[in-house]
Amino acid sequence: MNARAPRNQQLRRTWSSVFETGTGARIYPYLMVLPAIIIVVGVVVYPLVSGVMSAFYDVTLRTLNSGDMAFVGLRNFERVFADPSFGIASFNTLVWVVLNVVVQLSLGLGLALLLHRAIPGIGFFRSGILVPWVVPSVVAVLTWRWMYDPSVGIVNELLVRWGIIDDYHPWLGDTATSLYAVTVESIWKGTPFVMLLLLAALQLVPRSILEAASMDGASGWRKLWHVILPQIRVSFAIAAVLTFILTVNNFNAIWLMTEGGPLNSSEILFTLAYKYGFQRYDLGMASAVATMLFVGLVIATTLYLKLIQAKEGE
Amino acid sequence: MRHFLKYSTAAAALAATLGATPAFADNVVLWVNAPLASAPDAPIYAELKAFEAETGHTVEIQAVPHMEMERNLFVAMSGGAGPDVMALDIAWVAGLADAGLLADVTDKSDPIADQYQPGPLSAGRFKQRQYAMPLYTNNVALYVNNKMLAEAGIDAAPKTWDEFQAAAIAMTDKDAGTFGLTFGGSRVGAFQLYPFIWQSGAEIIADDGTVGVDSPEAIEAVQFISGLYTEHQAMPASVLTANSWDEVNAPFIQERAGMLISGDWAIGALNNGNPDLDYSIVPLPAGKEAATVIGGYNLAINANSGVSDASWELVEWLTGPRSVELMAQYNRLSAQAAAATDEAIAKLPEELQPFMMQASAGHARPVVAQWSQIHSDVFGTVWDSALRGEPIDEVMTQAATQIRQILGQ
Repeated sequence: MNARAPRNQQLRRTWSSVFETGTGARIYPYLMVLPAIIIVVGVVVYPLVSGVMSAFYDVTLRTLNSGDMAFVGLRNFERVFADPSFGIASFNTLVWVVLNVVVQLSLGLGLALLLHRAIPGIGFFRSGILVPWVVPSVVAVLTWRWMYDPSVGIVNELLVRWGIIDDYHPWLGDTATSLYAVTVESIWKGTPFVMLLLLAALQLVPRSILEAASMDGASGWRKLWHVILPQIRVSFAIAAVLTFILTVNNFNAIWLMTEGGPLNSSEILFTLAYKYGFQRYDLGMASAVATMLFVGLVIATTLYLKLIQAKEGE
Repeated sequence: MRHFLKYSTAAAALAATLGATPAFADNVVLWVNAPLASAPDAPIYAELKAFEAETGHTVEIQAVPHMEMERNLFVAMSGGAGPDVMALDIAWVAGLADAGLLADVTDKSDPIADQYQPGPLSAGRFKQRQYAMPLYTNNVALYVNNKMLAEAGIDAAPKTWDEFQAAAIAMTDKDAGTFGLTFGGSRVGAFQLYPFIWQSGAEIIADDGTVGVDSPEAIEAVQFISGLYTEHQAMPASVLTANSWDEVNAPFIQERAGMLISGDWAIGALNNGNPDLDYSIVPLPAGKEAATVIGGYNLAINANSGVSDASWELVEWLTGPRSVELMAQYNRLSAQAAAATDEAIAKLPEELQPFMMQASAGHARPVVAQWSQIHSDVFGTVWDSALRGEPIDEVMTQAATQIRQILGQ
């Protein structure tokens, strides 16, 4: 042992030795994460800040090219609020989010509980139910468009056969039904993901707790409410927040099915921002809507996570 | 010193090598609408080879779908990038030129202006300056299913509004699930509607900027077409949702609708979709006057292109006299003046002749910078509202107010 120590000390000093002691050692870890920070700043922080800034500038096709974008304060927001489509889109966004989140979470939980049992062939059902989630969203949406077709769609055919409606109905073309028709597709597409998250959580609930509850004579509902749900609370919260964010940002479903129409009846804030940006080429107004959406998302998500944490503390 | 000598010799050698390639050989990036470059053997590739051989330039071609072209051009070019030469729908020229994104080619194009048909050439002008040259031109005509027309007891394709309405109603049979006319919703429907507004004698936006969509004639035109759905149920319910040409064409291809209003781009889709379809193409029925809407694509040069001379050579090549031959291979109409002579029309495939026959009744859509917004927001809404039975006069009055607001009047 003694014979080796002096040789170690005689190791040749290389350029990297500066990181071994003193200031060098202190900045070393920061240097290691620097590339990651540069990338995150470049692809997340910068676009975000620039997007929020655009909301306060006059950014149109014309000003963008000439480079003289004037600061306009809150004028973009004023113009957005003055547009009647904004009111409709805000209300639709609320309906869209509430319906999607509530139905996807309850259906997802129900399915997860059903598929949690160990019965022969359960693997088939578990993978089968994931199909909507695996199908590319564009394919899914276009398929649903055909299913809703007012002349040849299978949805109409089935509903007429079952006697629920008398005549074929243009589900996507009627201002009263378009938003709900798209919601059905979105729920169909999103539920398997929720189910997957909750199923994974259910697998982790210790069997012994459930057995103890059974022995104490707890009914199925009581077991669900007082034993299972508290155990999977964190996963449930994550599923809720993710579904919420994915729904607010689910542009594909609405855009490919109805483009927010007819007559704004299925317009949500996201599609409205897209229209401002890429049909009117008014990026100032588009950024104003996007900024409001962003702030709303951040507030709602933070509140929800805080609530969950508070409960955790109890 | 020795190092210096070594490097400068190397630099000289490099310069000599570069100099040996043809003078001013530039690489031009070209964006075309997808149908022109749909397959590796599409005629444009051979044409570009010929151009490369003649000039020494190279061309990099990228195909962009029509529906995405305007947005992609906007995004790329306002960021200072984008192609050197781009194909663009004639309706987009004003918006992009107004934003300063297109190169002014007035001085280069004036000497060769008389090569082109005046209508399509003027579609590349904005505020008296030329920003784009016509690549091909088209307009919309009436497609009629011969069998369905005969079964409805009508022996000739409609030539007037009255005959048009009568034919549409006669071909409609609710029990058999057939309709007189397939039509688009929203923006697509609005595009099909414009000819009828002009046919009524009204203007959408006149050359002096007067907005004419609230005139009694325009209201009557919208009433006439929307009435075919709301009053006579002579259109399938797909009119409420069809926002692509594929969806507009579908009922005609499936022989569930007897008539279709579309341009020459429908021919390929119809023949692919149903090779047995027996149809004819005739000029649009006329109201107070004959009118159709001019469409087509132009070629324009990016204002920020670093190779503007080579770009102009390419534009001149593709839109020049050779375009008659090139566009014929696509079953499309060149905008060269030489393509509009009686002799040239007689040489066209039979199905293209009706389009050329009514070319003189062609109206360009208003050349205003905000046209895309007016088309999508205002007219898309007009048509959707009309289909849902809202009072047409109120809809049109509101539309006129909106257009005046957008134009800052």
